[in-house]
Amino acid sequence: MDLESGPELEEFRREVTEFLDSAPTDAIREAGRKTTSAFSPFDETIAWQRILHEKGWVAPGWPVEYGGTGWSVEQRYVFAEESAKRGLPPLLPNCLKMIGPLLIDLGTEEQKAKYLPGMLSGDDYWTQGYSEPGAGSDLASLSCSAVADGDDYIINGSKIWTTLAHRANRMFMLVRTSTEGKKQQGITFLLLDRLDYPGIEIRPIIGLDGFPEQCEVFFDNARVPQSGRVGEENQGWAVAKHLLKHERGGGTNSPWHERFLGRIKDAARVRTSPFGGVLAEDPVFCRELGELEAEVASVTALERLAVSGHAIADNPAFSSMTKTINSELTQRLTTVLARVTGEDALVLQREALEVGGGVDPIGDDIDLVAMPYYLNSRATSIYAGTNEVQRDLIARTLSSR
Amino acid sequence: MDFSFTYEQSMLRESVTRYLEKNYAFETRQEIVRSAQPYSSDAWKTYHELGLLALPFPEEAGGLDGSIVDLIAIAEPFGAHLVVEPYVPSIMLAGGALAAVREQPLAQQWLEKIIEGEAIGAFAHEDSHRVGDAKQGPVRATASGDGHRLEGRKQLVLAAAEADVLVVSATAENGAQALFALEPTTPGVSLTPFTTIDGRSAAHVDFDGVEVPAQACLSADAAEIIGSVVGQALVVLAAEAVGATGEVLRQTAEYAGTRHQFGVPIGSFQTVAHRLADMKMDATKAQATLLYTAALVEAGTATPRDISVLKAQVGRLGRKVAEAAVQTHGGIGMTDELAIGHYLKRIVLIETIFGDSDYHYRLVGAAN
Repeated sequence: MDLESGPELEEFRREVTEFLDSAPTDAIREAGRKTTSAFSPFDETIAWQRILHEKGWVAPGWPVEYGGTGWSVEQRYVFAEESAKRGLPPLLPNCLKMIGPLLIDLGTEEQKAKYLPGMLSGDDYWTQGYSEPGAGSDLASLSCSAVADGDDYIINGSKIWTTLAHRANRMFMLVRTSTEGKKQQGITFLLLDRLDYPGIEIRPIIGLDGFPEQCEVFFDNARVPQSGRVGEENQGWAVAKHLLKHERGGGTNSPWHERFLGRIKDAARVRTSPFGGVLAEDPVFCRELGELEAEVASVTALERLAVSGHAIADNPAFSSMTKTINSELTQRLTTVLARVTGEDALVLQREALEVGGGVDPIGDDIDLVAMPYYLNSRATSIYAGTNEVQRDLIARTLSSR
Repeated sequence: MDFSFTYEQSMLRESVTRYLEKNYAFETRQEIVRSAQPYSSDAWKTYHELGLLALPFPEEAGGLDGSIVDLIAIAEPFGAHLVVEPYVPSIMLAGGALAAVREQPLAQQWLEKIIEGEAIGAFAHEDSHRVGDAKQGPVRATASGDGHRLEGRKQLVLAAAEADVLVVSATAENGAQALFALEPTTPGVSLTPFTTIDGRSAAHVDFDGVEVPAQACLSADAAEIIGSVVGQALVVLAAEAVGATGEVLRQTAEYAGTRHQFGVPIGSFQTVAHRLADMKMDATKAQATLLYTAALVEAGTATPRDISVLKAQVGRLGRKVAEAAVQTHGGIGMTDELAIGHYLKRIVLIETIFGDSDYHYRLVGAAN
């Protein structure tokens, strides 16, 4: 066992911090402060992606030949740590952590050449079309259909929880191409290179936090090219499962948890306890905060082990475990922040959350974000496979049933 | 970064596991606990032959220069087999403290005997916080003639009843923490011996005007030594807890797959399955925290906060897993004849001693 730090890594850290201190615009920093979701404010986050792309730092997780940075796992960790410390908006995950890696693994050369550059540069934004009103946790029962017609598919049905579809220009989706045999066997994985095909309608859904982060997308005889298919027809379930691994997989969540913890501590130092003094000195609060800090430390330990290649990450349930652990820790952190903020978090102030809107918050930044963050993070245990489904998967690896 | 065991560590762990599997089955362990002896001297002899008694000590003190990661490699199987021999009290605590002050002839002398398996040491450190009687308060050392006089009580001193030497921490007149070595037969030392819930021998130790010579004082300013010795011991104790947690989970998952009710294995019920999933996640977090903290200790960068995080997490998470194991087993989990409840009791003890989880969480939360 050893912990490497070494002068090279420190030199790298210096290079990273120098860039992160100078490159982001004020609007990008504001977007970081006003992030209340796993999906940071769209325009500023894309602007930050463009800057990182120009620098060549946009996709640390990708292979070098496709635009990756060639960083070691330690370097990737350092980059995430320093980004989180500065509260910069995390890049949107759909392209860089989901469909991009999937295409690198399973796409045709033509698909890679056509789509990867736009994913890196931020020119394209891809939304995920998986869930349907009748197919949530039981995703394989999806019914949105694609019928082959010449070189095209004709799509009918609808997709829901398509995050930021109203800001997207592309979509990766699962469609039903057969109703024969097992329901998993009639599914096809499809890329839509445009969302303005006739017959496609996108309707935003207002969430608990008051924002239209999610959408429903309707398909009424929409004609799309078959060349967007990934893998064979009716083999899309295996493709989707491959992607879920990318979506759920661990990585570098703990620096963001640390950052959140820092905001809680900052808030506790200036907010008074009803029993006198500040919250940070209240023994009951300290006890609770201590457990929260320890939980973050355990997740950090787990991630450090995983990125180092330790066998703990070889467990077949590992991605389900990290998804569940990280999502529930996020919820716990946002819950504590909302409680620390107390009544100050009860003020509804959507306008002040708009980046560049120029509306000052009532209270401070933390008062502003605590409640929307708390509300939005209720979704973390629902999306990417509910935590109930994850627990089923974990249990299946433990005990024959 | 590499957190995996080296080849040598895996071999050592393997040989300890092989010995325990063969000679320390749960029934055998229960016979040891029920016997008049506090632990198995045969097992202790084997640990000596395997080099475990010398493992943590520097070569020049007759040790094997083992690292903290070597120690957790063996402590996890100790926990998985509910080993009752006084490894942590005699080797990690008393031995560790003696090794830190081995320039003192008395310390070196006792350490050699401990390493050779000829003596057992006990570390009298924890004060009682809940006893109102001033005579039973923390141990104080005052000057007395050429030597010192000890007064007060030490609580739950593991292995004290069978110890040949007590290593005692005491508050000196100047407020410093001093360290003493004395035999439990010294006049004025009285023991209240008992067995702990996890089948170990321990005692409360009262010091009633105990006169010790000057050379019994191993260090007049030992706070740092004590912190480091207790820190290392807590990592090893945490490894035992993690070993116990992993094993109680394994046995419970197996049981849920074979125990039938309503015509199906109970593990097929989602309530039971999800509890197993929670147990797995908790055990994984505890194990990751242990391995990461051990790497920090080995690198010399661990802070008291890191040790508190580890202590609190393995205690709380381990207890959660063990309580869930009892619940999953149902009535049979409540019986003395099954190992399950004994894992719970071992973990409850580990969680409680040297500051419970609440204490350590509060330290972590207040350190801002």
